[in-house]
Amino acid sequence: MHIEDGILPPRAWGFWYGVTMLFIIPGVREIKRRVRENLAYKPFLAMIGVAVFVISAMHLPVPVTGSCSHPCGTPLAAIVAGPFATAVISAIVLFFQALFLGHGGITTIGANDFSMGIAGGISGYLCWKILRRFNFPLWLAGGIAGFAGDVMTYLTSAFELALSLHGHVPLVRQWMVFFAGYGPTQLPLAIAEAVFTAAVLQVMYSRRPDLLPGVTGGKRFNGIGKAETEGY
Amino acid sequence: MKTDNDGMAENAEWFDPFTRWMLIIMFALLAIIFIAAKYMDMHGMQGGGTDDTVNAMASLAAHAKSHPFIDLPGDAEVGAFSVANFFAGMIVGHNWKKLFERGKED
Repeated sequence: MHIEDGILPPRAWGFWYGVTMLFIIPGVREIKRRVRENLAYKPFLAMIGVAVFVISAMHLPVPVTGSCSHPCGTPLAAIVAGPFATAVISAIVLFFQALFLGHGGITTIGANDFSMGIAGGISGYLCWKILRRFNFPLWLAGGIAGFAGDVMTYLTSAFELALSLHGHVPLVRQWMVFFAGYGPTQLPLAIAEAVFTAAVLQVMYSRRPDLLPGVTGGKRFNGIGKAETEGY
Repeated sequence: MKTDNDGMAENAEWFDPFTRWMLIIMFALLAIIFIAAKYMDMHGMQGGGTDDTVNAMASLAAHAKSHPFIDLPGDAEVGAFSVANFFAGMIVGHNWKKLFERGKED
């Protein structure tokens, strides 16, 4: 989903920058609010940021298709750090990946952030919230959220390309052509992302349940690493 | 790891449970990557990234030349990735202790 510079016309990448800003501004507010509420949130966000950086730059080989791709990490980030905060950290991650690793581009940060940080993050977060509301087990809700967020990232990225480049070809057909470039390799990695997301959430639940918003029944922590009460 | 009153390490285990699990997971992932890569090599698969494939498709559709912001030559990309991941690991490790280290009451 790392669209490079030179592919999207200025009107398109400008549009995606604008749309992304609509999520980044409330994201900055969300970060400020949660930093005031929980001392642990700031180091936690830093950790989530570097985790997204590494996960979304880590190209894994998929032998069934003979190509490589990477998971995203943003569904997990949206669940634990918040969906709008994920839009902010994802934009920072994409900036450094473009600058230092040659992944993606500078003009396309808006489009890439919309697919990975916003569509991927929010779809994963919504899956998580809905499934948890119906009392799905934590690992299953997390796993489905990871899978859905990963697939949604690549569907959105293909849509962004098709929207600008479909020309006389029907939009949906061009969208599916671009997604066909991602899909066969990405589906096994989406399953891997599901397993990874479920495992991390399960470990976090056992160690720091206070960092999982909306998850009850564990220890409550105040600040950094101090257990206070049980069963809130 | 046991510590004295000043917080200095008295006795550090080589393979405490956390390190053991991290190494097991790391070697499992590396084994998957190496076996997958070997299989792809044996069957003449290129193993290129899907990002590159779709960017090339999009460049054809756009009749424009795409390019990464910075194209690092040769092994420089491995070097940049290693440097970035080293410091990412330091940041994660630093914050991991703050967030997940079990207190004495545990």
